[in-house]
Amino acid sequence: MASAVVKVRGLVKDYGRFRALRGVDLEVQQGEVFGFIGPNGAGKSTTIRCILDLLRPTEGSVEVLGTSDLRGHPEVRARVGYLPGELAMHGSSTVREHLAYLCELRQGRGAERVEELAARFGLDLDRRFRGLSKGNKQKVGVVQAFMHTPDLLILDEPTSGLDPLLQQEFLRLAREAHVGGATLLVSSHILSEVEAIAGRVAIIRAGAIVDVEDVAKLRERAGQHVTLTFDEPPSLEAFSALPGLEQVSVEGHTLSAVLHGAPDALLKEASRHTVTRWTAHDRNLEELFMDHYRPDGAASDGDRA
Amino acid sequence: MSSFPVLRRVLQSRRRPLSIWTVALGGVCGMYTSLYPMMEKVNLQEMMEALPPAMVEALGYDDMTSAAGYVGSATYGLVAMALLLVFGIGNGAKILAGHEEAGDLELELTSPLSRQTIYAQRLAALWVQISVLVAMVLLVTLVLNAAQSLGIPLDDLMAGTLGLWLLTGLFGSLAFAVGAATGRRAVALGVAAGAAVVGWMFNAIGPTVGVDWMSAVSPLGWYMADNPLTRGFQPLGSSLLAVTTVVVLVAGWMRFLRRDLMT
Ligand SMILES: Nc1ncnc2c1ncn2[C@@H]1O[C@H](COP(=O)(O)OP(=O)(O)OP(=O)(O)O)[C@@H](O)[C@H]1O
Ligand SMILES: [Mg+2]
Repeated sequence: MASAVVKVRGLVKDYGRFRALRGVDLEVQQGEVFGFIGPNGAGKSTTIRCILDLLRPTEGSVEVLGTSDLRGHPEVRARVGYLPGELAMHGSSTVREHLAYLCELRQGRGAERVEELAARFGLDLDRRFRGLSKGNKQKVGVVQAFMHTPDLLILDEPTSGLDPLLQQEFLRLAREAHVGGATLLVSSHILSEVEAIAGRVAIIRAGAIVDVEDVAKLRERAGQHVTLTFDEPPSLEAFSALPGLEQVSVEGHTLSAVLHGAPDALLKEASRHTVTRWTAHDRNLEELFMDHYRPDGAASDGDRA
Repeated sequence: MSSFPVLRRVLQSRRRPLSIWTVALGGVCGMYTSLYPMMEKVNLQEMMEALPPAMVEALGYDDMTSAAGYVGSATYGLVAMALLLVFGIGNGAKILAGHEEAGDLELELTSPLSRQTIYAQRLAALWVQISVLVAMVLLVTLVLNAAQSLGIPLDDLMAGTLGLWLLTGLFGSLAFAVGAATGRRAVALGVAAGAAVVGWMFNAIGPTVGVDWMSAVSPLGWYMADNPLTRGFQPLGSSLLAVTTVVVLVAGWMRFLRRDLMT
């Protein structure tokens, strides 16, 4: 039976009079990759900083690797790797010097992996912090989080600023850590950024968890935007009747709809006509949220935090 | 934690600015102190009488006839002290709160190092720098004292230097502790600089308006009253400086251990 590596119960966090977290519950199991998804300002970083004991909870409790007192357990902190959402880097020291310093804070652990990790991400260790691009800073953040092969990795938007190639490299690195037995908590704005590695995903919105779900189920629920263009105006009735197809509309020769589940029925119906063009793309998180709060799909900005 | 990584890291990053400060401070002190033989030739007493007496006293320029009087007023009591306070307060505010605002503490606090360790090592970095600068003031004064035969008694000079070190340490520590308690560099700067200015005014104005307690409650009064180099070792004054420093640092420490890290 897997045990919880991160256990968050009824976490409330106030910044002055502003309530950023309104009772967050989370459990990350030993050995899983857990996605933590939410729009800007939802409270992802606040939750993560409470887990890491950088912030004191207003209410609620946090347990990490079996202890609820991270402050009193340096040996537990030694087993955690953390990538901050915004990594501070300035001054005249080089990347190599800074990484060496971060190793020193861990009694030298991780030093032997710096070269290898930097090479994987094409990170020049002799560059100075001053003038480092956002992507390069992010590489430094990734390297320092993974270098000491921690048991628990807490990564706040790890792929932000990385180009697609390096995002792939990051995913490979995360998968390796996962295979090696590590537990990962990975935050992002976008489901598609973590769905390649995450098993389960929690969705946070305006300081509260609105859903915890397997990635595959979530993806099915999110569905896809589909458009099909025919050589003649399609029949709205025929397509509306298909299973898994919602919000069907026709404009000229083009049919658009939201598809949940397998596209088989849609494709078979479409193949009875001449299709001149088609598109399908995964719906983004904001659209998913709208489903969550408006089952009829009526969009409005009113419920944004 | 035998190797003090944070202390070494901070000092390393401070190498250049600290060198510049040391050289500049040494130069300014040397310049002021070496002016004494010249000042001796002009009739200082006449110059002083031309000024309003209250102003002379407020500036601490009332005893210019001896080398100790002059160096005590002009260097230890004014120029060196002011520069050291500027450095101590600026650096005290920066070395923890400034780095916190810049985000540097985030990875230190999630490392195995404790908050206590980080507080202690950053504080040590402040005191090392202050000590280097005060040692420079002492060195320059010692050299000129010998070279120009100023005849400032050695024990008076050491006592004055101890006081200067404790005074700078107090205000640097105040800035450090307020920064550690609030995480705000500007607040730390404001509180410590404000306290220094009020302390200076109390010590300067108290005697001229005949209110004794004003200089008795001022750290500058504990340090120098009217002249730091003519009064010898001050057990009470030094203890007050040291005890206040410890109190301030303990308060900042307790708050730092409990509070949220700023972003
Ligand atoms: N130090 C602070 N003081 C006051 N409010 C804050 C502070 N930090 C965060 N907040 C507020 O708390 C809420 C949650 O912020 P948080 O940074 O946790 O969001 P996030 O999900 O990480 O967003 P992003 O995707 O933009 O990183 C936001 O409304 C933010 O404005
Ligand atoms: Mg964030």
